[in-house]
Amino acid sequence: RRRRRRCPECGSGSLVEDAHYAQQQLVCAACGCVLSEGLLTTTYTDEEHLREVAYSQSTGQKEQLSRCLQRGIRRVQDLCKVLKLPAAFEETAVSYFQRALELPAFHLVSLEKKELLGGCCVLVTCRQRRWPLTMGTVCSLLYAKQELFASVFLSLQRELGLSVPALSLADLVTTHLSSFRLVQPSANIPGPFLEDKEQLVARTMAIVELASATWLVTGRHPVPVVTAAAFLAWQSLRPGPRLSCPLARFCRLAGVELPPPAQLRLKELLEILLAMASQLSWLRGFRLDKKTVVKHIGELLQHRLLLLKRAFSQQDGLEQQGTGLGMGSESQGSRAVPQQQGSPWAGQQQQRGTLRPLLPPCLLQPRKRLRAAAPSAAGAAVTGDEPISDSEIEQYLRSPEEIRAFRRAKAWS
Amino acid sequence: FKDDFSTSPHLFTPMSPYDLELPIQASSQLSESKELHTDFSSVDLSFLPDVTQDNKEQSLSEDGQETQKELDGSLPSKEDSGVFMDESSLSHPGAAEPSPEAPGVCPPLTPMTPITPATSASESSGIVPQLQNIVSTVNLACKLDLKNIALHARNAEYNPKRFAAVIMRIREPRTTALIFSSGKMVCTGAKSEEQSRLAARKYARVVQKLGFPAKFLDFKIQNMVGSCDVRFPIRLESLVLTHQQFSSYEPELFPGLVYRMVKPRIVLLIFVSGKVVLTGAKDRSEIYEAFENIYPILRGFKKPS
Repeated sequence: RRRRRRCPECGSGSLVEDAHYAQQQLVCAACGCVLSEGLLTTTYTDEEHLREVAYSQSTGQKEQLSRCLQRGIRRVQDLCKVLKLPAAFEETAVSYFQRALELPAFHLVSLEKKELLGGCCVLVTCRQRRWPLTMGTVCSLLYAKQELFASVFLSLQRELGLSVPALSLADLVTTHLSSFRLVQPSANIPGPFLEDKEQLVARTMAIVELASATWLVTGRHPVPVVTAAAFLAWQSLRPGPRLSCPLARFCRLAGVELPPPAQLRLKELLEILLAMASQLSWLRGFRLDKKTVVKHIGELLQHRLLLLKRAFSQQDGLEQQGTGLGMGSESQGSRAVPQQQGSPWAGQQQQRGTLRPLLPPCLLQPRKRLRAAAPSAAGAAVTGDEPISDSEIEQYLRSPEEIRAFRRAKAWS
Repeated sequence: FKDDFSTSPHLFTPMSPYDLELPIQASSQLSESKELHTDFSSVDLSFLPDVTQDNKEQSLSEDGQETQKELDGSLPSKEDSGVFMDESSLSHPGAAEPSPEAPGVCPPLTPMTPITPATSASESSGIVPQLQNIVSTVNLACKLDLKNIALHARNAEYNPKRFAAVIMRIREPRTTALIFSSGKMVCTGAKSEEQSRLAARKYARVVQKLGFPAKFLDFKIQNMVGSCDVRFPIRLESLVLTHQQFSSYEPELFPGLVYRMVKPRIVLLIFVSGKVVLTGAKDRSEIYEAFENIYPILRGFKKPS
């Protein structure tokens, strides 16, 4: 029962109930004046029967980032700040992280993996922008196990279909060396050990290139190569006082870790340099060894293209290896080396006329004995349906005495 | 990796204008043009036992056409021989049964012919991958008491805290089996499909002799692993650049390059030494086919001396 109302403005009696959007309003049809707006509630009974909208049904949950995602994004941002990456990297890494976390492959993984996922996104971003961040650095920042990090990295690459360029060695040299303390004067670094950064970087790059050309880099972890190259570069720039400093001490002074493979890389580099030195006419008379050759690294690098051609037999592995080992090259008439010996080329560097081929070290010094190449002879006759003799099977069954003894010993429950 | 062929165009690029114009009867000419095959093989020396010298010469002469070689080499061998046959019949006008299109197509043929010897060279790379491991499964179709088996069998090992299966080994064929309480069994270590089957049967017999009504149902080869050596070092960093869609090379993680071939669906581990491991095959032909596909690609990275 409603009293007939009149519009307070114009006095007209034609009032219409209308909805402004979804709100009921009483409007004067003549002048448009709004008399009353819809009430928020109606009656007590209505209030009791209507149910509130649950949070899970509202859009609030979708619009708000989950706590897990928020934490993950913060971690990615923190990582970028610690690594002092450019601002644009952070955005990209966060967007990768958000995309990845939505995918079923990552949504339900353990928290540990989600933390690594953030690190992987940062790593992918850096690789794509040619910023030489190594996995080792990210793993140490996240206290991560490398195998787990590896698996998350590879699945991220696969799930998001990202193309991740390779780590650029040249960029790695520049960044790695900038963290070396030997390029800035400091209390515990002797004067003669201090080195100019530009020169050190340039020479290290040249040695790394040499290593790359002589098969020392392919398949190996990049950081030990750079460490060994930096050491040789540093020594060669001022051999006098530095030749007596071993690699371990160099790394301590520089304030970097000595990765274990670096010693082996150093040895391999020196072998290459010695082989090159043996082809440089004015150095032949010096009978250089692993220490003294360092003094001439500058010259060797200068003529490296020619020396590499001369120092190593140009025949590729294919012609050399009749049986898969580095045998003597027929064209140079060197003596045949029996297969049993581990490294036919080790002692022959400086002998004229016996040049070793330019091959990866794993081919020059094979560690495994080649197994007999004909196991198929025995296996070929097997059809899979041969009769199986009882005696053969019985050899695998325990006798009653054995069982008794075992029972006593093991006390089966 | 999805089987999305559109992302691997170079594996399926047709050798235009050939594929469009080749009549279907090209394949029927295979048997007829056998003689032509031998005629043509005066240029193709792949039947010689030592392939090395010949391939070296060919790779030197085809320097400019190396990418073409890769394209051809990656095509499945059947298609190659089909094209090959037609080419030979077309390039020998006096041949027994030239295809109807021969007169029109002949002129553009000659510049393409040097490519075919490379293709057939890859068909017979001279290297056969050796099978190293076969993984198979079989259903013994009966519930097993693993503690009982471990107690009564000499060659069994059972540590329920570590793994919920009995590990059993036999000497001939030298294999290992994982036997689960559900009656399912996994057999690994055999060097051939037949050996794997024989070994699985022997394990089933052992279980039978231990008093369980074991059967031998649904024997299936699940995975085959092969390996071989191409005998020259490979620049993995270059391979990953040219075949980025299929390769993954992370020296910080693993020294080898992981190549996921789409057809056949095989994963290859390629190492700097030239050793290649092929895995993921359900049939040995997949391993052979995968190697024949990868060999020309790897040859492209061999430095001519």
